[in-house]
Amino acid sequence: MKDGDGALMGDTKVSATNVNVYYGEAHAIKDVSVEIGDKAVTAFIGPSGCGKSTFLRCINRMNDTIDICRVTGSILLEGEDINAKSVDPVQLRARVGMVFQKPNPFPKSIYDNVAYGPKIHGMATNKPDLDAIVESCLRKAALWDEVKDRLDKPGTGLSGGQQQRLCIARAIATSPEVLLMDEPCSALDPIATARVEELIDELRDSFAIVIVTHSMQQAARVSQKTAFFHLGVMVEYDDTDKIFTNPSDKRTQDYITGRFG
Amino acid sequence: MGEHIVTSFDDDLIELRARIAEMGGVAETQLSQALDSIERRDSDLAEEVIGKDRRLDALEHEVERLATQIIAKRQPMAKDLRLVVSAMKLSTTLERVGDLAKNIAKRSRALTATSPVRISGSVVRMGRQAQAQLTEALDAYVKTDVDAAIAVWRRDVEIDDAYNALFRETITYMMEDPRTISLGSQLLFIAKNLERIGDHATHIAEMIHYSAKGEAIGPERPKGEADDIGQTV
Repeated sequence: MKDGDGALMGDTKVSATNVNVYYGEAHAIKDVSVEIGDKAVTAFIGPSGCGKSTFLRCINRMNDTIDICRVTGSILLEGEDINAKSVDPVQLRARVGMVFQKPNPFPKSIYDNVAYGPKIHGMATNKPDLDAIVESCLRKAALWDEVKDRLDKPGTGLSGGQQQRLCIARAIATSPEVLLMDEPCSALDPIATARVEELIDELRDSFAIVIVTHSMQQAARVSQKTAFFHLGVMVEYDDTDKIFTNPSDKRTQDYITGRFG
Repeated sequence: MGEHIVTSFDDDLIELRARIAEMGGVAETQLSQALDSIERRDSDLAEEVIGKDRRLDALEHEVERLATQIIAKRQPMAKDLRLVVSAMKLSTTLERVGDLAKNIAKRSRALTATSPVRISGSVVRMGRQAQAQLTEALDAYVKTDVDAAIAVWRRDVEIDDAYNALFRETITYMMEDPRTISLGSQLLFIAKNLERIGDHATHIAEMIHYSAKGEAIGPERPKGEADDIGQTV
């Protein structure tokens, strides 16, 4: 943890108010309101099925892809309602990037994995511009030195940790404002995990990062703010330092000390 | 608070608390016997107290080892983390109480070589007061009784007052009869040690509060004036 101090965080990037999510009859998220700061890492923790991933997926409308899923309440990105009719979800996802639990590179070359987003969003018109974006993103993802001599090789040929960093490079290639990470390290070994955590810490200078993690130690290490979810409710949201040394709610205390969950 | 899902984690924390309670018991006995040795002019007992201080040193290392292991193996959070941190601080505090008791015993040994004086009774009385504070602080620890801890914390001012009264009394005594200066100085040192033990008892109370509540006990503690600084009678 570098600075868990709330005062050091940037302005609010994402503002969610009374968000409810239903999967058919099931009420998965109940009245969650949260302000996510810019240039900071916000961690969502909680037992399996508590709704943390579901809520994360609301932020770039990934739940749109599930037919029976219904989302109510408002989510504002820079003050703009992301669920408004005028918002194109594809454009939204360029602004709100996502990294998943299992590294999922496209079955393409390392270069094309990173270049794909900028290409379809028309961010580069010529090869030199695209080359520059690819290099810069791979450098930011701390992968450049390891792959610069084999950019034309398939991304799937990399190690798990490298693949995950490639996915991060791909996610930041569209210059998003928010980066959502759903358990980005759960399939990685400790060293690869440390690399990704170091990367998260560097990336927070440029983005608002929201990470869902099952590892409380990881949440404590990488985030400045932590939200604890339980049974679809956001039980507590506070400075990470506070949550892990002196949480206000008994349920938070019981969960982080390993008494239920 | 409920039990951990991993029950061996509970065992570790219980073990740690038990070692602190044991240290508290030894420190208490050491102080009590050091005072007895003054009261009864018993140099053998003083000698015994001096010898038994090693036990506290060993226990302090044991607590440190356990606490380090818990941090490394369990990565305690919140209340558990505070319990471990406060255990480490408590072990240091209790080890110091032991050192002070040992020092009192050493001075008691020296006192037995001189003729008895009335004022040593006042020192023992003050000592019993400090001992009571220590006992209550340790009981509060064992029971995790925050209210009792706060009561101990507030009561330290009484020991400060007793110390100041004793300080004046001893100075007066030494001024009246310069032959008692050497003896009086020993008594002053003992009184100062007892006053420090009182402070340590309040520190224990503070740790109980921190461990349970996650914050300091409150604003500045009521304190007696330090009469031994800069002024005499």
